[in-house]
Amino acid sequence: MRRRIGAWARRVAIGVVIVWSLFPVYWALNTSLMTNSEAQSTSTHFLVTRPIFSNYQAIFGAGPQAAAAAGGIGRSLVNIVVESGGATLLTLVIAILGAYAFARLRFRLKNVFFYTVLGTLTLPVYATLIPLYRIMSDVGLVNTYLGIILVYASGFMPLAMWIMYNVFLALPPSIEEAAVIDGASMFQTFFKVALPIAKPGIAATAIITFLLGWGQFIFPLVLSSTGSTEPLTVVLASLEGRHVVPYTIVNAAAIVAIAIPAVLVFLLNRWIVEGIIAGSVK
Amino acid sequence: MVAPLLVFIMALALYPTVLTTIDAFMHIDALSPPNHFAGFGNFTAIFSNPQIRQSFENTGWYVVFGVGLTLVLGTAFGLLLQRRFRGRGVVLAIVILPWALPGVVEGVIWSWIYDPTFGVLNSVLKSLHLISQYQLFIGTRQIESILLTSLVQVWQITPLATLLVLASLQSIPGEVYEAARVDGAGWWQVIRRITLPLIRPGLAIAAVEALVLSLNIFDQVYVLNSGATTASSVMSQTYFTTFQGLNFGQGYALSLLATVVTVVLSLGALKILYRKVTF
Repeated sequence: MRRRIGAWARRVAIGVVIVWSLFPVYWALNTSLMTNSEAQSTSTHFLVTRPIFSNYQAIFGAGPQAAAAAGGIGRSLVNIVVESGGATLLTLVIAILGAYAFARLRFRLKNVFFYTVLGTLTLPVYATLIPLYRIMSDVGLVNTYLGIILVYASGFMPLAMWIMYNVFLALPPSIEEAAVIDGASMFQTFFKVALPIAKPGIAATAIITFLLGWGQFIFPLVLSSTGSTEPLTVVLASLEGRHVVPYTIVNAAAIVAIAIPAVLVFLLNRWIVEGIIAGSVK
Repeated sequence: MVAPLLVFIMALALYPTVLTTIDAFMHIDALSPPNHFAGFGNFTAIFSNPQIRQSFENTGWYVVFGVGLTLVLGTAFGLLLQRRFRGRGVVLAIVILPWALPGVVEGVIWSWIYDPTFGVLNSVLKSLHLISQYQLFIGTRQIESILLTSLVQVWQITPLATLLVLASLQSIPGEVYEAARVDGAGWWQVIRRITLPLIRPGLAIAAVEALVLSLNIFDQVYVLNSGATTASSVMSQTYFTTFQGLNFGQGYALSLLATVVTVVLSLGALKILYRKVTF
């Protein structure tokens, strides 16, 4: 008897965890499929009965309400993909090279360099925000893709290096040693042997870096807040801040910003978990 | 092979940090250059500004709520999801979801939930007769505004704590529990005397990550409070001082202070809380 009560209590508790994790997203989705008058009615519509898609049409510049949402959401979606994608590629290339060197090679000042890179992991946003803005405006890279990608990549590199360092350390060195004995050069060993077996780790690092880029707000708020380069996050905050755009449209825009991270989580959560654990424990 | 990495770190992380450190002691006026040495002038200015002092106090509350709630929820979720059951993979993916979403987006969807005129929180509380009329949750009462803003961040970072707790739980050998059960320990005793002490390393890392994130809270504050200072954080205050007030000297001083506090507190907390567990 007690066991059965326990099993039911567990099921209820797991249900509560699911509602806690999912309800805000569900609520935004539900609202984004309503008319504005339904969203503002005194009786709350917990499940929209006749879903409409005009809010989504409006944010991509079609339909009667398009003008209300003229915040360039379509453009900002392109921007956020370019910026987080570009930063991910740059971060991966440079962090993987560095991580491999730290994990496998011997060179002078290795420990000094290693702890210098790792030490910047503890630096908060405060440490670099204002000077990076001034450096970027001095070299004319404010409001450019290149500027924002360089800033993102420099911020993501220490974590990516740390995850990849642990990935390389966990690989058995005997495979690479065998390649060296067979006459492979260091670069051949790296490209033909080490990289292919490190693929799952690289995938985990890539996903986590991409999600970090997708979630950025204060850096692009400062460094790219005009239409040509501002990412979806910045546009969404300004839609919300103007208090004139209907909430149904704001929620539709929020769902657009959620869609790609949500798909990544549901398809690739195993790698995300591995990456998070590799990045924080040890 | 490490050269590109070092160039990036030097140019875009260390060099800016050095600039922050130097410029915090400079008087900076874009209209009348050059800048000149100001000693602790910027620091006395920020400490005598009541709005900035308020943001210090608020950030203290953000840390208390952020670290406390994240650890409690993360531990509870971890313990609950520890054992295998059907559909556990899907539940884990659902639990991770809030971690993967941008803080701004979360601020936006929660602000609709908290909305004073049409929000679902008001609607639910009213139909449960917990409130007699619709409330303005964020913007007037300080602690309530901070708690509700912090809750949005807690929603985002609890998955991190859950995963760290789960990872530590998996490293506990099953015999430990069996031995406890043979000795007649109840479930609460097992959790208090065995599980919690053994997952301490994971909890310590979760605590430090929650500490750093709540000391740096910005996105949720920016979206949910739209410039009101009731629940301002040091980070939002730094942003407004620097980029709206264009007071770069004070912005640098705030940044340096916050950087030092973040680094010292996080390393200190790690040192106190983290203890390797051996079996």
